[in-house]
Amino acid sequence: MFDLNQAFTALSDVALTLVVLLVLVAALEAFLYVVFVRWRKSRMALPIMFLTPAVLGLLILYVYPLLWELNVSFTKMSIRYFVDPGFLGLDTTKGSIFVGFQNYIDVFTKPVLPQTSFYQLFAQTIVWTAINVFFHVVLGVLLALMLNRRLRGRTLYRALLILPWAIPAVASLQIWRTEYNFQYGAVNQILEMFGVAPIPWLSDPIWNFVAMLITNIWLGVPFMMVLTLGALQSISQDYYEAADLDGASGTQAFRSITVPLLKPILLPAILLGIFLTFNNILVPFFINANNLTSSDILVTALYRAAFSFTRYGFAAAFAFVIFAILLVFTFFYVRKTNVLKGALES
Amino acid sequence: MRRLSTLASLLAAAAVIGTTVPAVAQDPVAFTMWTKEGEADGSFQFVQKLAADYTAAHPGVTINVVNKSVENLRTDFLTTSIARQAPELLWTVSDHVGPFTASDTIQSVDELVDLSTFLPNALQSVQLDGKTWGLPVSFGNNLMLYTNTDLMAECPADTDAWIAAAKTATAGGNYGIAYPQTESFWLVPFLGAFGGSVFAEDGSATLDTPAMVSALAFLKDLKFTQGVMPAEADYAVMDGMFKNGVSQVDPNASLAPSATPPPTGVAASVINGDWTAGAYADLFGDKLNICPIPQVTGADFPKPYVAGTYLMFSKDLAGDAAKQAAVLDFAKYATDTPQQLEMVAALKRLPGTNAAFNDPIVTGDALLSKVAAAAAMGVGTPGNLEMRCIFDAMTTGIKSIYTNADADPQGVATQMQTDYSNDANCQ
Amino acid sequence: MTDMQVREVTDARRQRKDGYLTRMTRSPRRGADSPIKRVCIHLALILAALIAAFPVIRVFSTALRPGNNVLSTSLDIIPKGASLDAFNRVLFDSKLPNWLFNSLAVTLGTAAVGLILAATSAYAFSRYRFRARNLSLTFLFATQLIPGIMLLVPIYLLAIQLNLVGTYQGLVIAYAVTAVPFSIWILRGYYDTVPVELEEAARIDGCTEFQTFRLVLLPLSLPALAIVFLFNFLAAWGEYFTASLIIGNSESLLTWPLGIQRFQSQFTTQWADLSASSILVSVPIVILFVYISKYLVSGLTLGGVKG
Repeated sequence: MFDLNQAFTALSDVALTLVVLLVLVAALEAFLYVVFVRWRKSRMALPIMFLTPAVLGLLILYVYPLLWELNVSFTKMSIRYFVDPGFLGLDTTKGSIFVGFQNYIDVFTKPVLPQTSFYQLFAQTIVWTAINVFFHVVLGVLLALMLNRRLRGRTLYRALLILPWAIPAVASLQIWRTEYNFQYGAVNQILEMFGVAPIPWLSDPIWNFVAMLITNIWLGVPFMMVLTLGALQSISQDYYEAADLDGASGTQAFRSITVPLLKPILLPAILLGIFLTFNNILVPFFINANNLTSSDILVTALYRAAFSFTRYGFAAAFAFVIFAILLVFTFFYVRKTNVLKGALES
Repeated sequence: MRRLSTLASLLAAAAVIGTTVPAVAQDPVAFTMWTKEGEADGSFQFVQKLAADYTAAHPGVTINVVNKSVENLRTDFLTTSIARQAPELLWTVSDHVGPFTASDTIQSVDELVDLSTFLPNALQSVQLDGKTWGLPVSFGNNLMLYTNTDLMAECPADTDAWIAAAKTATAGGNYGIAYPQTESFWLVPFLGAFGGSVFAEDGSATLDTPAMVSALAFLKDLKFTQGVMPAEADYAVMDGMFKNGVSQVDPNASLAPSATPPPTGVAASVINGDWTAGAYADLFGDKLNICPIPQVTGADFPKPYVAGTYLMFSKDLAGDAAKQAAVLDFAKYATDTPQQLEMVAALKRLPGTNAAFNDPIVTGDALLSKVAAAAAMGVGTPGNLEMRCIFDAMTTGIKSIYTNADADPQGVATQMQTDYSNDANCQ
Repeated sequence: MTDMQVREVTDARRQRKDGYLTRMTRSPRRGADSPIKRVCIHLALILAALIAAFPVIRVFSTALRPGNNVLSTSLDIIPKGASLDAFNRVLFDSKLPNWLFNSLAVTLGTAAVGLILAATSAYAFSRYRFRARNLSLTFLFATQLIPGIMLLVPIYLLAIQLNLVGTYQGLVIAYAVTAVPFSIWILRGYYDTVPVELEEAARIDGCTEFQTFRLVLLPLSLPALAIVFLFNFLAAWGEYFTASLIIGNSESLLTWPLGIQRFQSQFTTQWADLSASSILVSVPIVILFVYISKYLVSGLTLGGVKG
């Protein structure tokens, strides 16, 4: 039942939040205005005023927590050493819990899951990420290109195609898992209609991995599709008209106009897609019902240490290792694709 | 601001009441209770009502009842404890005793409450390091055998009888027996039947034992040799298969083998916990039978873990005498006989106190007396932190047993032990 | 702004619209799809839509199925004994309407704040060159590498210190700022494709820097702004962990991810109610997306420069 009083409480809290933010930002901007426009008469006044609120927010919400985690990663803070670590855990009520780089060493030398080493999980994670992102991008771009045409029923298609993104994963993934059941699931029933023998999606290591892939591809395509749909709008129609006048074919126009102009938005989106897939916990959690080690990825081990066992120190170190891997990857990705070209050079 | 106005309106309300009823000389106390109870079985509503009834009788007290899933209750309680913002009272499962004592975030209750009023069997699951860490609100959480009397009329005398009955019910996508093949909680009873236990007296893990090998061999035989179980089943599938045995359209339609062919995906009997007894009873009516898990032929009765639901008190609470007194008074109220019997009626769970447990309302109830008989077969759930690694190692093990007809029980048991000792999270 | 400038800008907008109309009515490429190609596209889209919608249809069937049962042994969309009881229950017996209302309020607030933060910052990154620019852009990327859940404990500790627990303030700031890096990247990429000549023309006509941004660049960037709004919205819409710590104790502030948790206990799940809620939860998203699709129409035309 809709409780009007509660709704009012909630709404006034949101209003209060927005007013507080507005006042804070206004005060900040006024200060910056006085300093950079009136006093320094800086040419960079506008960008400074534009950037400061976001930079402050990011410093508070990313830099501070990262430093906190970095500090913890050098301690054995955990359920058994459940104390505020202070500086490097050197002086706590339980004595020093400083362990130096031990947590980082443990990540590489001890099995991070009972049957699995870091390296095996790393390999599985790479396969998992590569296949997912490949299909996300290919299918997402393909659907966006089709949806971008003048087409009867375009709105209906768009509404249906965004459904996997719209419906809460906690419900859809549990339904997916039931659909993979060997005897009763819809997937095998549909395959049977095409004469395909039932597949042990949940109990066979390889098929379970495929099931996870199918589910995650289903889940991730709308995101790429929507981004591409937006990116396609940044391409002026004039280019196509010019190409058309020059007698270019559709394929040629796609290769020489669409692809290069999609790049500035798609390349960062792909990178984000890689991060999201790399760190995706929900799909393995729900679809790997049988606890198959072959269906684990790095973050499942991280979550197990962090959540099931509350090993704060180890989990922090593990998270930084994952962070470092992605950072190195990003470095090469950026060099190779020039995703930052134009952005960084000049 | 909002809190102030709430407080003001509360005080105003108290003043109004004060004119008619003798004023209660008590400072206002507010505390928060996190409960793992959800709305699924009406248990959250029950906890809310309990708190509301209490505050109605004690106008100075405000109780904020918050629902958290079992996992989130644990992680959020630890996180808020770091910041000294933990909720004062928890209404949760016995498994949390391990992490909360290791992190020193809850109080032992030995000095706070007279424990002799509580069921000793319920208390043992929250006893660790010689102390008691929670008050049982309910007793049970144990696995039992539920049968659809259309398909399996009697409680099987032993597993041979069970398998025989299951075979007649197995045909055309229907099965005689179903239970989750993905959770090691369902392995524990059979380990007990062969005299095994996951921990030795000295606390070391004993997964690679003859008892474990026999239990694994028995379950493998049940699935692959007897063929009375579905190929794959997790909790949701098992639950759905049992419920499929009730014809929703026509409650009088019979599913007996003689009648028209039943829909596929029906289980004649399932092993499930006491938490679903009320829901199954509502759905099946007199077509539901509840039995202890049948005695393993040639061995003992299976021994499921038994525990309950417990009230636990935050460590930080100890620093505030007035609040501690208020929280304890509520805990006493919640475990008092009238409230216990109210819970029995509302949730069909066994109570946690001796007085309520032996009340005719419980002993005379057809359903609850069967639940109590099944719970009597159980052993206390170990509360220590290592249980999680034990469960994980066993889960990986039973997975090979249930998915691979060629799995070697001895090899699997050895692997379980290795997995446990290799688990960095418990070493 | 003088009348002259206003006319200039509105002209630019009109040209944009004209460009759009031109394309819709007589763009040679778009009209060129042969009937066979069009049928193929429809077939492909129908297949894709079926795959996308099928699991959601199954969620819907679960909501209709009596007996609180998730296991379906047939492919029927309408299960035997189907009823709308679950929808009735979650709408009128549970607090779902309140949870949805709260989520909408928080999420709209977040998306607005996030959009403003990102739109302005991205402008600075796109149109200005400054010393820490490369470093900042790289840092923005790096923030996205972190397994988000790792920042939960320190962010909660921070919220306690700033007294932001039990209000939406901490939550809205956290959601808006967390979504900012990606939003900046998307918007910057889009701004970069907008010819700077348009803004130069406006500057020559006497617009201030801020006016150029607001009156020239922003209107031209509507598609990207719409996408970023949607992205911000969805990032906050289903968030569970931060909300659980910051507003979890405040019954009247609960958002739907916290609320629907109640339909699941340790072992048992209120399948029909959970499914019905999930269907209802996805409705606002689909409506928002369909509405936003209106803006997914190019604001760009080189005509603005040529003319």
